[in-house]
Amino acid sequence: MIKTDVIIIGGGATGCGIARDLALRGIPHCLVEKGDFAAGATGACHGLLHSGGRYVVTDPIAAHECYNENLILRRIGEKCVEQTGGLFVRLPGDSKRFRELFLRGCEEAGIPAEAISSTLALDLVPNLNPEIEEAIKVPDCSIDPFRLCMLNIRTSQLRDGLIFTRHKVTEIVKSHGRCIGIKATDQATGEEREIRGNLIINATGAWANMIASLAGCEVPMTLAKGSLVITNHRLTNMVINRLRPPSDGDIIVPNEAVCLAGTTSLSVENPDKINIESTEVDTIISEAGRMIPHFNNTRIIRAFSGVRPLLKSKKVDAHEISRGFQIIDHQNGMYSIVGGKLTTFRLMAEKMVDVIMASFKLKKACETAEIPLDGQEELSGYPLSKRLADMKNIVCECELVSKDEVQRIITETGTRNVGDIQHRTRLGMGPCQGGFCTFRALGIMNDMSVISPEQSMDMLRGFLQRRFRGIRYALWGDQLREEQLVEYIYLGILAMEKPQ
Amino acid sequence: MSVTEYDVIILGAGVAGLTAGTFLAGRGFKVALVTSGEPTACLSTGCIDVCSRNHNPLVGIKELPPAHPYHLVPGETIIESLNNFQAAMSDIGIPYVGTEKENRLVLSALGTFKTSCLVPSTMAAAPQDTKASIHIVSFAGLKDFYPSYIISRRNNSKTSVYDAGVSSTMGIASHFEDKDFLKSFIIWLKEQNIDEDTIAFPAVLGLESAVEIVKTISTSVGKPVFEIPTIPPSMPGRRLFNALKDNFRKKGGNIYWGWPVIGVEKSGKIIEAVTTESKGRPNSLNGKAFILATGSFVGGGLTATREAIIENVFHLPVHVPGPRDTWFENDYFSFNHAIGRAGIKVDSFLRPTETPLENIFVCGGILADTEILKYGCGHGLALATAHVAAKSCMEYIR
Repeated sequence: MIKTDVIIIGGGATGCGIARDLALRGIPHCLVEKGDFAAGATGACHGLLHSGGRYVVTDPIAAHECYNENLILRRIGEKCVEQTGGLFVRLPGDSKRFRELFLRGCEEAGIPAEAISSTLALDLVPNLNPEIEEAIKVPDCSIDPFRLCMLNIRTSQLRDGLIFTRHKVTEIVKSHGRCIGIKATDQATGEEREIRGNLIINATGAWANMIASLAGCEVPMTLAKGSLVITNHRLTNMVINRLRPPSDGDIIVPNEAVCLAGTTSLSVENPDKINIESTEVDTIISEAGRMIPHFNNTRIIRAFSGVRPLLKSKKVDAHEISRGFQIIDHQNGMYSIVGGKLTTFRLMAEKMVDVIMASFKLKKACETAEIPLDGQEELSGYPLSKRLADMKNIVCECELVSKDEVQRIITETGTRNVGDIQHRTRLGMGPCQGGFCTFRALGIMNDMSVISPEQSMDMLRGFLQRRFRGIRYALWGDQLREEQLVEYIYLGILAMEKPQ
Repeated sequence: MSVTEYDVIILGAGVAGLTAGTFLAGRGFKVALVTSGEPTACLSTGCIDVCSRNHNPLVGIKELPPAHPYHLVPGETIIESLNNFQAAMSDIGIPYVGTEKENRLVLSALGTFKTSCLVPSTMAAAPQDTKASIHIVSFAGLKDFYPSYIISRRNNSKTSVYDAGVSSTMGIASHFEDKDFLKSFIIWLKEQNIDEDTIAFPAVLGLESAVEIVKTISTSVGKPVFEIPTIPPSMPGRRLFNALKDNFRKKGGNIYWGWPVIGVEKSGKIIEAVTTESKGRPNSLNGKAFILATGSFVGGGLTATREAIIENVFHLPVHVPGPRDTWFENDYFSFNHAIGRAGIKVDSFLRPTETPLENIFVCGGILADTEILKYGCGHGLALATAHVAAKSCMEYIR
């Protein structure tokens, strides 16, 4: 049995942020996550570091918080933030009144916003629709959510925090009505682990109510599914927003070599049962195509959905529900932290740890806004020149990932899950979506004897099913061609059978 | 523009196009074949899947749904096409084993069995059940072959790894063409003291001389040796393509290689010519009849857009199986994706329906309702329909 002070459940941005904050304030802690880091809404968002502009009209407090956090993250996390800048573009027919509200809101929230002519906007982003009436420049950035989580966790790891990914919490252990620990199952081995702590923090986003119910508590939430599509190309160097009240398909975010466009908003009941719908993909493409016409002809490599854990509200349209967050004291040694958004994760963690410190009657101020994230120096990356020199060993041709890199991740993390390799190396993230390289990555794991061949077959099947869910509604043009080839490889050449 | 006259112009250099071309060229017709590049046959296992749904492929064909284009091929033509293929391959030195009366099993790189009908002789010794023990030889750094997948299903099997100095499928295959390399490889193989019943290799045993190489290795170690098809690049697929291509040229066929068709000239119900790009000036190829064998989506015969499915050369009407969101099932392994039915609908002469054009015939994967993966009928259907298309062409020209 493991003993610690604080048990954090959930390895999204919030959980990882809390772990870092606790580490910097010297509180022993343990983080348990059922999947990999950033597996929920954190990893399934558009990777936007909000300037706050999106919320100035509907939610001025959230807007102000966003801008402050935007400034902090650009300072402390420069290796996972790309300072792209953003534009809010107004198309013919979009309300001019919203423009006035927007500019006034930015001024009140202290967000630098500059109205520029359509000519200047087209100079900045040549792919923009030439028919735009004008644009407003704001300090939006793009952020790598997975990297962000890893860097937050690094601080915790350096200070003896215990991290268990791929561990699912099955039970909250109680004694005299108080939560005193958890039981969690290792998803790879089935082994059970018991962890005892003085406080339990439920930072599981869309799964918060499920975890709370294990302790007999309730977390009132509204779950809003949002879908996004990824393009095969980077069509813009700036974040492009639509200057109108929040609605479907109003944003395009550049991220490394690709763009993400979204989103939609549909309320759902169960975060584990979400599907992308064909109409969502079509809406996103046609709306994004209004801002960047080339979007209509570009190759879409995948669509995906995340579930926003929003606070329960009477408002019907999830676009209008507050993006604010809340800390719920269940009065039994467990706290739930829900709501919020990726941009404000650090602030959420700070407030949460303030509460923890108060309950422990300890005084040490939060330092997460001042100290740069640990481990960024190692992120100088794997330069193209080196990748090409290793070409002989490349197992993922789309993203140039070498066999050595795959082996290193397996050795360092002890992972038994091909998803962990994909997140850490970008293996399988390119146009073929793992069609060739997953067979190889699992073969390598097999050869290293970290998984049994039976497991590798199950994983390959599971991978193909999951992969297909993501590409099913993005299949036309070259992507359909690629998909037919991959289908021929697995079902024709490799003769994979139907799962039993 | 340069203009050349032909009897028949064939579009596509896959199994269907080359087979139709060879059939016609062998009967004295002046045939040109136009291709924008290597066909998908090069990516294939090289095996001729006729119909994998029944142990007897001919019975399997009878059980196919009524709309399946196999039903447009007379039974004796199916047999004729397979016999012609086997004879031609034997002549050219890459014999195929099997008969049209029963399917056989090919061991896959995952250790599963792929059902096929005619298979390259280099795969003939593959065990037909799970009992036989196999010694699997793999190659250092070869990223497309992992023996552990096979061993998981056949735990009486073993593996050893040879360092060929190169790690790509093509690289290792070309090394095997070198006599000295083969000699030192055999010395190494003998040192492995193999106890298992058979020896398996990924399909890298030579570019063109695979048959001899397999025989040499097998004789030296006194055990049956066979190849396991790999994911692309696939040597057996390439050997099949090269053999078909050589055979076509030998019969006097002419290949316009690497240039896409950029224009079609029509007059009423007749297609008169296709224009291809070429280095200097566009090339106009006049023909009396045309055979469309450009394949499905992967081959480049069809392109799907968000709104429609287009046939890329003649813009023939395409049978589209419902709106786009119904093209695929949610279950990846359903083997029933509607998109497999997309293609060109034809009459019994394999002439496209719903168009007035009368001198064009369609064969191979571009046909509607083939569902090639579902029924395991890729190259077999290509051979059979190529024969029908070629015969219709002959009749039309006369």
